[in-house]
Amino acid sequence: MQVTFKVYRKDPEKDGKPSRSNYTVEAPDGATVLDSLFKIRDEVDGTLAFRASCARGYCGDCMVRVNGSARLTCTAKVSAYTQKGPEISLDPLRNVPVIKDLVFDWDAFMWNKIKAVKPWLDASETADGENIVPDAAMADLRKVLSCFHCGMCDEGCTILPVDFDFLGPAALTKAYRLAFDPRNKNSREQVKIVEKPKGIWDCVHCYEADEHCPRGIEPTKRIVALRDRAYQSGITHEAVARHHASFAASVKESGWLDEGRLAVESEGLTNVKGLMKLLPTAAKALARGKAPIPYMHSKRPGSDQIKKIFQKAEQEEK
Amino acid sequence: MKYAFYPGCVSRGGCPELYPSAVKVADKLAIELEELKDVACTGAGVLPQYISDPINARTFAKAERMGLPVMTICSTCQGVMAQANYRLKEDPTYREKINREYLADEGLEYKGTIEVKHLLWVIFEDYGIERFKALIQRPLKGLKVSPFYGCFLRRPPEAITPTKELNRRKAYLDELIGILGADMADISGKGKCCGFPILSANEENSLAMVAKHTGESKEKGADFMVTPCPLCHLNLDGNQAKAEAQTGAEIDLPILHLPQFLGLALGFDPNEMNLKRHLVATDKVESKVNMLT
Repeated sequence: MQVTFKVYRKDPEKDGKPSRSNYTVEAPDGATVLDSLFKIRDEVDGTLAFRASCARGYCGDCMVRVNGSARLTCTAKVSAYTQKGPEISLDPLRNVPVIKDLVFDWDAFMWNKIKAVKPWLDASETADGENIVPDAAMADLRKVLSCFHCGMCDEGCTILPVDFDFLGPAALTKAYRLAFDPRNKNSREQVKIVEKPKGIWDCVHCYEADEHCPRGIEPTKRIVALRDRAYQSGITHEAVARHHASFAASVKESGWLDEGRLAVESEGLTNVKGLMKLLPTAAKALARGKAPIPYMHSKRPGSDQIKKIFQKAEQEEK
Repeated sequence: MKYAFYPGCVSRGGCPELYPSAVKVADKLAIELEELKDVACTGAGVLPQYISDPINARTFAKAERMGLPVMTICSTCQGVMAQANYRLKEDPTYREKINREYLADEGLEYKGTIEVKHLLWVIFEDYGIERFKALIQRPLKGLKVSPFYGCFLRRPPEAITPTKELNRRKAYLDELIGILGADMADISGKGKCCGFPILSANEENSLAMVAKHTGESKEKGADFMVTPCPLCHLNLDGNQAKAEAQTGAEIDLPILHLPQFLGLALGFDPNEMNLKRHLVATDKVESKVNMLT
């Protein structure tokens, strides 16, 4: 069928302003979006820039937005996008510096962030130079090792559109891969790196990344596991440590959350500036009869039992 | 119809307007609620899984003993419990370990038979939309409403939308807006996070998210936004003024809890739904609703 591709264009060597070119080409049954891009470049417009490498869904190089959603063009069939009409829009990813047309800056998008998590293994040295790990110990990591860095999780991330400096699920999943490797003798350090601002604690764990990952690696669950590991060994992000300690203390002591206490303890009881910051909202809430007063909090029935469970779980995971 | 009611901490703490509104609506619908009183907070995605799974297993064991499914009124409670329940149901060895190490001491055991459902799901899946429609006394004609689900009521799929048919859950709130007679002011971020979970780690990003969602809703001409999640409410309503100050944009968008939205259509007076307790004034919504009666 004849399909019109409406393609994002930008040429820094000309005026650098974004525009759109429409190309109508024949897309035979079974053609992928990438097939059509090659056809356009070879037969219609040799100036169109796009990326592609393996052309079989293994390398992730060809990711662009097809009708608004990130897809690997090499596995995206044209017929899947023409049900509403023979038009398909192609755009680079959102919020990423564009180099030319559909070619965007992968370093800024993902590679610089992956480098920031120190993506190498600090393995223990053994006498014979080998570091053999039982198969079962690697079972969980095998899935993560299948990541081919396509960046689909980062494209789906909720935080990156508001804060491009957030490390993002791809780099944090790489950190998981290293922190949870049984050979890593510096696992704790690896977790500390991603505890810094713009790391695991900036993630809202909304599971968008898991929905976007084409390999089922579940990046959000990896980030949650890194956070649990940080909690277990002592959170090093100060504000988060205060918040988590207060939350845990409140549930441990009374069974449920003392929200007023959480608000003040998250700021820090001696942090006058931080506490002052709470005042306008607290005063307004109080006037509406909805600000929970800190420490005026009753115990839930059965809270002693909850405390026992809490203590036992903490003990077991130490 | 009877449920073991799990109201969650926020419906009585930071959003005390939610609990009584939900109870009134349930009563009107003749949904019987037996509150789970001696159970803990779900952990809300703050406590690590190795602590929250046992305390949630205890809640499920208590509901199982009552012979009732659990009903929640919070997307976060729902999400955390549904994820824990999925792990406990899927992996009998894990469940037995938790039973043995944490619940046996109290004479409890979770057999893995409990369903946990948000009020929004209960209405569509258990109560029946036709039966619900018959009780609508005040169709909310002329009111324009944006849906905001709370991300834990959308994902992850194995816990929230485990079958193809249950994928419908992702559209319940959209459908409900039409059913209650209101118009939709659709927004691109309705299934995204509100920003609440990172308030302590990165308040700036959190408030930017509040401004993005509420600002888009306002641009689409919404009279208010409705959410089934009180944590979203705490951020979208409670921190809207801060988000306005950060971005310099005036937003002024009332945020209603799901039971309040239901209650208005079921004929309750806005005062009975405690709208006055919100931080963003709801006067305009109230006068529009009062014009309908």
